[in-house]
Amino acid sequence: MSVSTADIKRINPLIPIRGKITKIVQETPDVKTFHVTTLDGQKPFIPLPGQLAMFSIPQVGEAMFSITSQGPHHLEMSIKEVGQLTRFLHEVEEGQECGIRGPYGNGFPIDYCKGKDLLFIGGGIGLAPVRSLINYCVENRKDFGKLTVVYGARSYADLVFKEDLFENWPKMENMEVFVTIDRPEEGWNGHVGFVPAYVEELNFSPMVTITCGPPIMIKFVLQSLAKMGFNDKDVITTLEMRMKCGIGKCGRCNIGSCYVCLDGPVFTLEQLKLLPPEY
Amino acid sequence: MKTIVKSRLAELLQTMAQDFRVLVPVKSETVSQFVPWQEGLTVNLEGNTVLPPKDIFFPQTEKMYKFKVKGSSVDIEEFAEDVQKQVIFGIRSCDMQSIDCLDKVFLTKGYEDTFYKTKRDKTLLVALACTKPQDTCFCESLGLNPLEASGADIQVYDLGDALGFVAKTPEGEELLAKYASLFTEVNAVPQKVEGFNLKAEVAGIPEKLAKMFDHPIWDEVSQKCLGCGACAYLCPTCHCFDISGNVKADQGYKFRCWDCCMFSEYTRMAGGHNPRPSKKERVRNRFMHKLYYFQERYGQLLCTGCGRCIAKCPVGMDITAIIEKIKEAEV
Repeated sequence: MSVSTADIKRINPLIPIRGKITKIVQETPDVKTFHVTTLDGQKPFIPLPGQLAMFSIPQVGEAMFSITSQGPHHLEMSIKEVGQLTRFLHEVEEGQECGIRGPYGNGFPIDYCKGKDLLFIGGGIGLAPVRSLINYCVENRKDFGKLTVVYGARSYADLVFKEDLFENWPKMENMEVFVTIDRPEEGWNGHVGFVPAYVEELNFSPMVTITCGPPIMIKFVLQSLAKMGFNDKDVITTLEMRMKCGIGKCGRCNIGSCYVCLDGPVFTLEQLKLLPPEY
Repeated sequence: MKTIVKSRLAELLQTMAQDFRVLVPVKSETVSQFVPWQEGLTVNLEGNTVLPPKDIFFPQTEKMYKFKVKGSSVDIEEFAEDVQKQVIFGIRSCDMQSIDCLDKVFLTKGYEDTFYKTKRDKTLLVALACTKPQDTCFCESLGLNPLEASGADIQVYDLGDALGFVAKTPEGEELLAKYASLFTEVNAVPQKVEGFNLKAEVAGIPEKLAKMFDHPIWDEVSQKCLGCGACAYLCPTCHCFDISGNVKADQGYKFRCWDCCMFSEYTRMAGGHNPRPSKKERVRNRFMHKLYYFQERYGQLLCTGCGRCIAKCPVGMDITAIIEKIKEAEV
């Protein structure tokens, strides 16, 4: 049997397939969501919630991003402008071609979450990876218990996924959404304050919790959850590291003997406590 | 034992080179390394090469795919790779062990690295027994047998005036049968290996390192390191790589190249956060990886005792001395 070039591209895990950015949504002043399909309008691959994609503009660079959502024919990645590649991405228009490969990583433990009440805690762009699981729970609503989202950002303008936060999710049955911003601002009638303090104020009973945000937020959220008696094996987070290959070969994303690209990015606090604190 | 007098080695290599790409250890004025055999080359049978043979499967830079940009369109195309069948002649036990490490990295744990595998699959390994360890060699301390390389298709012994060949795999048998007319059957006993100058006691080191992440030893050990990366480039097992690109006008290509965990950019993220911000964390990661993390992940150490890093470190860092320090550290 002869192997066509297309087949070779699929089987060499380091070579991206060609894709296209079909839609760009401005979420905040520095975050945009990119919808990506293959050139013939198909979903490049089917990721599990929490898995990652290597997304590239070949002439600029390639980097690993969490897949925040997916439709029947596309993947979505919400990307903050921070470096060379993301700066370029924030300039492109719909129709821009790109490279994409994946899915990478373990994803969230869906089976473990099934039938349970879930608490999602996000800060800033950290809601992007968590949202893939929230979406899954919303789409498979009867498989999960109560869903609670606590989310915060610096300001109203910096809140990502406003339509989900203020329209779609609060309307769902047995789902609550709590939003906070760091400082008071004109026109904002909601909660003001940092996410960890808000979590303590809401005083949840221990349950399975999925959290992601800036390292400093995660640090204090973990302290708050510990105070409230949350179990380490029920506290789940997703990590980020510099990555090049995505398949556990190039070396740089290790924490101890784990590779975040393969063995992560999703870890429970129980697992993290067994690893060196080097992330 | 099938033997050939050393003066006829060139004839054997020349004959093999008609069927294979044959790589041999050659010494030039500045360096010694494995290079493709050509008539007139002198094969260096004394000591190991300065550069490890890892680049045969894992080149220092390797083109991955090319692309063409036209407005917002980007075409991606693979490079056609024509990999010849090849024979590595004269590879030592330590470097054979390094191939075993690289195989574990590139061919296991869910993903096979296509670039590595295409070259590795087409390679026969003809190992050469070591009888005179160099001053910086300590493979024996790591459980290797300098006279018998594990994984070799053929083991070659230096018999003084001649070389003796013993096939270790069916592929090795086939290779020897192919050139049978060049060999003479002789009863010969391989020389014994001379004593090792350098030793390292690695028993219990991984278990001990598991408790030493926060140990003050890393402040001390990292102090004189310059972060130059020579150790990683010369290490036969160091496999970390970067992926980068070269763009000219509207086209370019992506390549991968050796990288080094001693460099600060290695782990620095676009947002500026760096999980290993200083030399201390980087040196700790290097030795933890070699002597503990790799063992935990793949069941063996990521050091083969070849001694290249000891021989070439500009400030005299010595992994055997570090192993000794770890052994003596209080935890």
